[in-house]
Amino acid sequence: MNSRRQFLRKLGVGAAALPFVSNLNTFASSLMATTRKQRLVVMFSPNGTVPWDFWPDEEGDKFTLKRIMEPLKDFQNRTLVLNGVCDKVRGDGDNHMRGMGCLLTGTELFPGNIQGGSDTPAGWASGISIDQEIANFLQSKEETRTRFGTLEFGVMVPDRADTWTRMSYAGANKPIAPIDDPYQMFRKLYGQVKDREVLTSILDSVQEDLKKISRSVSKEDRHLLEEHTTFVRTMEEQLRQAQSSDVGHAIPELEQGIKEENDNIPQIAKMQLDLMVNSFVNDFSRVATFQITNSVGQPKMRWLGIDEGHHELSHEPNENKDAHEKLTRINTWYCEQLAYLVRRLSETPEPGSDGSLLDNTLILWGNELGQGNSHTLDNIPFVMVGNGLDFNMGRSLKYKHVPHNRLLVALAHGFGHHIESFGNPDFCKDGVLTGLT
Amino acid sequence: MRRNCVLPVSLVFVALIVLSVCSPLMAQVGASSASTNQAVRNLASVRLVSASADAAMERGREIYEERCIRCHGPNGTGTKDVPAPIFGDRPTSDLADVISRTMPEDAVGDCVGDDARAVAEWMQSAFYSPEAQARLTPPRIELSRLTVSQYRNAIADLGASFRWFSAPKPERGLKAQYFASRGQRGDRKVDDRIDSKVDFNFGAFSPDGEKIPEEEFSIVWNGSVIPRESGWYEFTIRTENGARLFVNDDETPLIDAWVRSGSDTEFRGSRYLLAGRTYRIRLDWFKFKEATASVALLWKTPHSVEEVIPTANLMPEWSPAVLLAETPFPPDDRSSGYERGTSVSLEWEDAVTNAAIEVADKLVARLREFSDMKRGEDNSGKIREFAGLFAERAFRRPLSDELKAIFVDQQFAAAKSPEEGLRRVILVTLMSPRFLYREHAEAEDQFDRASRLSFALINSIPDKQLLEAARNGQLQTEKQVRDQAWRLVNDYRSRSRLLEFLRSWMNLERLQEINKSTAVYPDFTPQIAADLKVSLELLMEQTVDAENSDFRRLLLSDSIFMNGRIARFYGASLPENADFQEVKFEPDRRAGIVSHPFLLSGFAYMETSSPIHRGVFLSRGVLGRGVKPPPIAVAPTAPDLAPDLTTRERVTVQTQAEMCANCHGLINSLGFALENFDAVGRYRDSEKTKPIDASGQYLQRNGELVRFGGARDLASFLARSEETHRSFTRQLFHHVVQQPILAYGPESISELTEFFENHQFHMKHLMVEIACRSALETSSAASQPVVAVEPQDSP
Repeated sequence: MNSRRQFLRKLGVGAAALPFVSNLNTFASSLMATTRKQRLVVMFSPNGTVPWDFWPDEEGDKFTLKRIMEPLKDFQNRTLVLNGVCDKVRGDGDNHMRGMGCLLTGTELFPGNIQGGSDTPAGWASGISIDQEIANFLQSKEETRTRFGTLEFGVMVPDRADTWTRMSYAGANKPIAPIDDPYQMFRKLYGQVKDREVLTSILDSVQEDLKKISRSVSKEDRHLLEEHTTFVRTMEEQLRQAQSSDVGHAIPELEQGIKEENDNIPQIAKMQLDLMVNSFVNDFSRVATFQITNSVGQPKMRWLGIDEGHHELSHEPNENKDAHEKLTRINTWYCEQLAYLVRRLSETPEPGSDGSLLDNTLILWGNELGQGNSHTLDNIPFVMVGNGLDFNMGRSLKYKHVPHNRLLVALAHGFGHHIESFGNPDFCKDGVLTGLT
Repeated sequence: MRRNCVLPVSLVFVALIVLSVCSPLMAQVGASSASTNQAVRNLASVRLVSASADAAMERGREIYEERCIRCHGPNGTGTKDVPAPIFGDRPTSDLADVISRTMPEDAVGDCVGDDARAVAEWMQSAFYSPEAQARLTPPRIELSRLTVSQYRNAIADLGASFRWFSAPKPERGLKAQYFASRGQRGDRKVDDRIDSKVDFNFGAFSPDGEKIPEEEFSIVWNGSVIPRESGWYEFTIRTENGARLFVNDDETPLIDAWVRSGSDTEFRGSRYLLAGRTYRIRLDWFKFKEATASVALLWKTPHSVEEVIPTANLMPEWSPAVLLAETPFPPDDRSSGYERGTSVSLEWEDAVTNAAIEVADKLVARLREFSDMKRGEDNSGKIREFAGLFAERAFRRPLSDELKAIFVDQQFAAAKSPEEGLRRVILVTLMSPRFLYREHAEAEDQFDRASRLSFALINSIPDKQLLEAARNGQLQTEKQVRDQAWRLVNDYRSRSRLLEFLRSWMNLERLQEINKSTAVYPDFTPQIAADLKVSLELLMEQTVDAENSDFRRLLLSDSIFMNGRIARFYGASLPENADFQEVKFEPDRRAGIVSHPFLLSGFAYMETSSPIHRGVFLSRGVLGRGVKPPPIAVAPTAPDLAPDLTTRERVTVQTQAEMCANCHGLINSLGFALENFDAVGRYRDSEKTKPIDASGQYLQRNGELVRFGGARDLASFLARSEETHRSFTRQLFHHVVQQPILAYGPESISELTEFFENHQFHMKHLMVEIACRSALETSSAASQPVVAVEPQDSP
């Protein structure tokens, strides 16, 4: 913090302007970065996958992507498919709840009052999630600290806080709400910059106005207005300085007037992913989550000609070919979102280096279930893309029923955060998940 | 024979302490000093009895110039050696007495008798009295910005101008809907009722064994909360089940504990609430499969204890959302005894900026709540219209074409969408001096009158009716202004403003935490202190709300509002769980606020009473005397160092030194009259086996000594004392107008005090009179220097 203060002081930015210049934080820290940046994105889509259209048949670096993962074909050599990784956490709550609440926490839900379709009622997860754990680790060090540390993006997440709608936890009983309104996310990311722009132009007319009114008051009273004018000028000066050191990258232009409605999911997803890429360019955060709807999510993908809700379809037995054809198309659409993100990251240069953002970003795509109709927590469809961690990409891996806690530990290790276990330690006895590097 | 005196340094120092720092001759001007006619009348009467008054006056001037001026400077402004200026509100006889006993420092005894009298008299009229001070440096109506509370109220009323202002309805409690299901399914609703508060313990059972299953049920409470004071309110839900609380906002819960998880049973959230308004509230609660069910809705009001929200603060009626600016502001200048907006700072400018952003964010995000715009329609026309109205109402006058171009048209032209245009308009409007400053002389017209009237009476911008009246030229005559003032003084916000004034008149902001020794008063809990505060508030409300709105009730009331807890502590007979009610309690011994246990406990130490604190409150607060802080910090003598002395004896011994006695003579002899009440305000006949001596006295500013014994006697003196009336009038004026009363002419205070007396001490009537006076005063006229005040005969 000290160096940041000094840095700000050099700029001549006073305490009054500090709320407007917190962006400088990242600017300052990026100057000090010595090692490469590393980022983690966790993408979530609900209701399990269609195993036969998802899992590659082969193991190793020669494999064929099935229909659902076909959108990733340009990036197959940067993709790692993890079959056989299972959510072993049991206890209170039904599988949709545990699948969601334990996906990133690896630990049990507290007993509670939220009743699922079966099993006992449950509350929130009893521990922190891995995205937050890693973000805390990065924020604890000057060279990796960013303005936000972590950003939680959502797409059409229902407006209620419960075990099905939250996967990130700041700690036990501390779920974090994803922001699913792109305009709200925009305000969070760029509101200050926007305000600065508007304020600077407004302060001119405020000064004009003060001058005008000064003429009509007595000499003694004029003194107060003159003082006020001085402060307005100071403010303006500070804003200009802050503005000149604002991130040099253009603020993304959002399409205006997109309502939060089912049929707008494609636009909303794209807006959110664009904002995420932009936030990485500005180094606002090194960790992000991207949650499409929620556990038991019911998007109706009418833009694919599918009128039924996703969750409803996911209960259909394997024999219902028509339903599974739709489920495959639905999951393919999710993968297209992943592919869009991957493509954008690969096309966007990493500021201050030769590579692309994708070279320094790892995306983990997960789900609360292995498959919808069985509600299994085995074989969660985990896929990783990008080279943010030093994993050996371009392979299809097949594990034998390993607890997903070990994968969470591996993510931490990938950032140099050498924890021995994560979540319930019983599931980490065999150590970090091997075979990734 | 007069000697030329050169004071040794040490003596100068003593002089400084005695005369310049602590001397009762000194007092602060402004609010804490009285401008009194009594002194003037006193002088005048002296003049009448003395055949050679002018000669005596002339002689006084000569003596001052010869003996005093070298240290005290011309007009008592001080010199390098004795820098403290001399001014104050003591009677001439006191002045003469001090001069006789202490002056000149190196030749005490040289200036006594007629000489001392003559110089004292001349000092009074030349520079000592507040009137003389006002003549020397005439106060003026200063340009002021909105105070912080005016800012917040103005924002709230800008919001309300697009909805309506909602005053509390008489019915109390919350609407409750009971459901025989964990979700609020309409077809499972089994009961609609009013619950007086939310504090239920159902145990393992259901609220209704017949209609509601034990395993699952839910309740929704709806209505509004009514805060007494402005500040941060911490809400708490206590439940082992699931609950969600919404306050002033239907979309984002203040507390979301819908998911019960683990063993937490208390959930909190804070919100800033402005007094004088009601805030809608909704509590959703459900039980599902848990072994037991209970739910309580509590709050912690500013500086008080956590308690179940009392029935009196709940109403079943819904309220429209209040637009709240929660941005912290630096506190206003209160150096002259009342909040004034006569200074600005960078911190303030910063707060103004942040608050403008906050309001723009809230208003744009909740635009549909504040307008009739609909989803899915093209609202650009309506948004622009809204923006224009917003600026007009914020500026308290119609927008000229020129202003409309700057504040509306240009902003929309610079924006990419109508919403962004509105945002810009809100920002530029709220940062404009036209919003931030009170009426300035650019155009002295009826809109200025409307503003002055409105800020005086409801501390906020004019409402639609008032603006309409100004627009139609209906604030022309005094009667028109007075009619509007009467309409406003009966507005709920005005009641709140008057109560707020009474709190400041009683110095309540100094009594935020009352702690007593647990060894001596083990039962005096923070809850008792909080209850006593409510009891005092109820007396204030009763007095304000009464038809005659008679200020004297505050001093003379022979009853106390008590609930079961207070009654038990003070030994009155009420059932344990009784709610607040008026109780005749020790009516021969007690009188209104003078013996109200909240003030008696507040102005007292942990273990013993404090005649000094009580005396300062009575002399400074009630009688309006200028009492300066002590010249040196003196630790009070600990009671156990003087084990045989009563409090009265101990205080007397401790303050008998010359440099203390001048002020403490005044202070102590008022406070002693309340010695029948111990540190928690319980009545006592004796202390340390000695009988209580509750006799007191007061030397009035007209030089007459009044004696009294006990609280009732003291209270009845205070209630009839012109000094009390004058001080109350002056303080109310300052609170309401926020300009020095002397800037409204030297006679204002006397005229208004007389008005108050002639109208049976009707507080609202006085408030209307003050508001009308300030509204009809034009700033250009008021800026004229005050006409010189000469001592006059009283009519």
